[in-house]
Amino acid sequence: MRDVGIIGYGSSVYEKKASRTEMSYMAEAARAALASAGLAKADVDGISTSSTTLAPDNAVTAAEYLGLTVSWASVSNAGGAGGPVNVLDAVRAVEAGRASAVLCLAGAAQDGAFFRDRIGRFNRSIADYLAPHGCGGVNGLFGIVQRKHMETYGTTRRQLGRIAVDQRANARANPAALLRAAMTIDDYLAAPVVADPLGLYDCVMPCSGAEAILVGPLDRAPAGKGVRVKAGRECHNHPAGEVSPIRGGWETFREALYDEAGFGPDAMQFVQAYDDYPIMVAIQLEDLGFCAKGTVGPFLASRSVTFDGDLPVNTGGGQLSCGQTGGGGGMIGLTEAVRQLRGEGGARQVPGARRGLVSGYGMVAYGHGLSSSALVLEAA
Amino acid sequence: MTAPMHPAMPKVQETLTNAPMLAAWRAEGALALQRCADCATVVFFPRSVCPHCWSTRLDWFRATGTGRIVSFSVIHRGLPEAFQADAPIVLAEVALAEGVPMIARVAAPDVGAVRSGMAVRLVPRDEAARYPLPTFAPA
Ligand SMILES: [Zn+2]
Repeated sequence: MRDVGIIGYGSSVYEKKASRTEMSYMAEAARAALASAGLAKADVDGISTSSTTLAPDNAVTAAEYLGLTVSWASVSNAGGAGGPVNVLDAVRAVEAGRASAVLCLAGAAQDGAFFRDRIGRFNRSIADYLAPHGCGGVNGLFGIVQRKHMETYGTTRRQLGRIAVDQRANARANPAALLRAAMTIDDYLAAPVVADPLGLYDCVMPCSGAEAILVGPLDRAPAGKGVRVKAGRECHNHPAGEVSPIRGGWETFREALYDEAGFGPDAMQFVQAYDDYPIMVAIQLEDLGFCAKGTVGPFLASRSVTFDGDLPVNTGGGQLSCGQTGGGGGMIGLTEAVRQLRGEGGARQVPGARRGLVSGYGMVAYGHGLSSSALVLEAA
Repeated sequence: MTAPMHPAMPKVQETLTNAPMLAAWRAEGALALQRCADCATVVFFPRSVCPHCWSTRLDWFRATGTGRIVSFSVIHRGLPEAFQADAPIVLAEVALAEGVPMIARVAAPDVGAVRSGMAVRLVPRDEAARYPLPTFAPA
């Protein structure tokens, strides 16, 4: 079997208001991914999309738009967990001979008003049983989750603020981030209340842009630039029947993930966790074993999660500081991980980055995101 | 009724499955839930199949309309137009007395007094017309 992994990556420009269509942003990210791999368009024969805003278009019509003839096409239904799932599927597709180079794409052409209009119709359970209560986008749902975590474990807003503040410090070293103004913990705590206990800096800003990952045989990557997918898992609808749980699907596959990878959290130099809200980053750190369940508050109080800290998290600023490009929010951690593992992190390069974790979360439905995913990556 | 529903209130799509719940709320300000005739699981949101045992024998019954707040959020900003006059509003996870969790609005006269663990019950019948879905108030 061929040694398959990630051979290219690319990001489009991010914009607060859309200046072009979603396909256009994805095309820009795709061009960058091919350039980073040294491949030509004609080399691509597989495509997958994990956008949440592309319907009625899909992976096949994306191939039409981009003028690609492909032997494999796949579309995710896992929302913000879809990026890691699609990359894992693409690796398996290339291993199986279904394609030789797969473009994985996600993005959005949106702003805040577009997002607010759409989120109430994201799926039927939101449309029929949440939006009529006035859930405020989905901020209210995550306010419920955060309060439950705070009241169950004693977690504080100041502890969780570490995530937003340190990610902002990371963004200040990332010229592509949309939100780069300096932020202190006092700024974070004093921000306007949105959905108590959530404040303004707990909530992502919907924006426009796209991300791309190119999967293929690692011997086609430029020397020293391949990234191996050591392990990957997904889980949907866990815990079944609970609303606003303070745990997620990651806890179901954590052990299997690290068993397959051959190493665990202690051997990784960074984490790119899905950050629609700091509380969800905190829950991923717990469920993925970076600290014990319920201890993320003291854990964060004793750590720095900046790119040069003792546990770098969302080293480019994440969605909280770069903006959320719809389903592209499920890929921004992947492109940032690949950038770091290739040593191309520029001013925010994590020293000695050889291994890292990327986790996804999404498909918010009745009370929580149904989908969880994770990949363990290693410089090849 | 005390006040009509805001004209821009998001609509619930009535289906063959959820019609009994909507009818009970609209006509009587009551909460109707489903219970599986085979495994006794209480089901919310409405479905055509029991998510526990996949039985299709789901019987509607009249719930007590009482429960306790498990956790909640007080939403100040980012609300759709229909809710802005009421802001801040309380959205809560409510553990119903029947043992099933529900996310619902809690219409609290004093938002600052809302606490996790607080007992809630459905709003009085003459206020139900303001709300598209079963809505609670401090008991
Ligand atoms: Zn049953």
